[in-house]
Amino acid sequence: MSPLAFDPFASGTLLAGGVMATAASLWLLLPSGRETGAVRWLGGLLGLVALAAFIATGRRLGGLGEEAVFLIVSLVAVLSAAATIVSRSPVYAAIWFALSLAGVAGVLLVLGAQFLGVATIVVYAGAILVMFLFVLMLAQPAGLAPYDRVSNEPFLSAVAGAVLLGVLSLSIGRLSASPAACCGVPSRTAATPIAPLQPGAAVSENRVPETAAPASRAPETAVDPLADNHVARLGGELFGRHLVAVEAAGVLLLVALIGAIAVVSRGEAAHAGVATSTAGPAAGGRAV
Amino acid sequence: MNTVQSLPLLQNALTVGAILFSLGLVGILTRRNLIVMFLAAEMMLQGISVSLVAWSRFHGDWGGHVLVIFVLTVAACEAAVALVFVLQAFSRTGRLDAAAWQSLREATITRTVDQEVPSIDTVPYRFPTLTPAGVLPPPDDNEPFERRHV
Repeated sequence: MSPLAFDPFASGTLLAGGVMATAASLWLLLPSGRETGAVRWLGGLLGLVALAAFIATGRRLGGLGEEAVFLIVSLVAVLSAAATIVSRSPVYAAIWFALSLAGVAGVLLVLGAQFLGVATIVVYAGAILVMFLFVLMLAQPAGLAPYDRVSNEPFLSAVAGAVLLGVLSLSIGRLSASPAACCGVPSRTAATPIAPLQPGAAVSENRVPETAAPASRAPETAVDPLADNHVARLGGELFGRHLVAVEAAGVLLLVALIGAIAVVSRGEAAHAGVATSTAGPAAGGRAV
Repeated sequence: MNTVQSLPLLQNALTVGAILFSLGLVGILTRRNLIVMFLAAEMMLQGISVSLVAWSRFHGDWGGHVLVIFVLTVAACEAAVALVFVLQAFSRTGRLDAAAWQSLREATITRTVDQEVPSIDTVPYRFPTLTPAGVLPPPDDNEPFERRHV
């Protein structure tokens, strides 16, 4: 990449353009109370520009089918996520989030995480999101509330999010430049030693060449080591090496359950107490 | 190509995770509705999950998968406790507004005052309608209150 010639399709230029388009698009699309249809169209258009830039900076995956599947599911996930945070209506936001979860589950399936893809749908979309919707139906006033049509600092937040995205993308794009740093960690479960990223490119001085040499021409077409007997082996790993953590997670679930019930009952009692004592300092402080 | 270490797949998946995380960050910073803020927090967790699974596949290791399972568990706990707090807050203020609790802010931070918001959304929703057909039923006085939109 020569600094003199301006190449619009260089990855750095694309990334900068994508970041700026992301910031502008989010700023235009976030609820401000004054937006019109034209502003929304412009924001959506800029968002599509940003998406195109990020797609153009993406790496080729090799197979056309895999690329198409990954592109579709990740587009569903990202577009629905953007629609979640710019929706005025919280019910629509929740439903967009459900679609985003479907996209995320698709990405997880493409990545070979069969159990997690299904668990995301079951746990998030099936349980957590339905709970959110219950609360919305209980608590949402009729019509769009004023606080749903304004945002806190939309410009600064959009810029901050886009800058974070740019920094993350930059460091992700630099992963290929340092294969030895990211792949020196030996895997515990893979039976074969880890192959370097580009064969023959990553044998550095500090590595023992006797062990690295056979690995460098190993699994060019090997299958995912996590793929066969996936759920059974995941369960074995979970209840083998991480048994104590599983027990701790079970205790955490129990504590959350009891805590939720306790907060509800105590909160109702305290609320009744506040309602009866009208001149308390706590009640005065809470009135906004 | 289903290789063990597919760097392009890792990078693309990490990018998707980064986008989800950033969108969730923007959402939790800007939105005022407590429920939408929690949705944005869950979206950040989704981005982290995608990144963890991508690294797990890249290294051929189960660590990322196991960590995502624990993330799911903690997210379920968090949603349960958080929704209880949201319901309590709603029952006290009648609003799902984060700014309704700004009396808890630091002493040096100025008070958030709502700007002028039009009383009706400037962009009207277009709901699908059915073509009227048949006989119009007689009006029912006992008909419950209907919301115009959610």
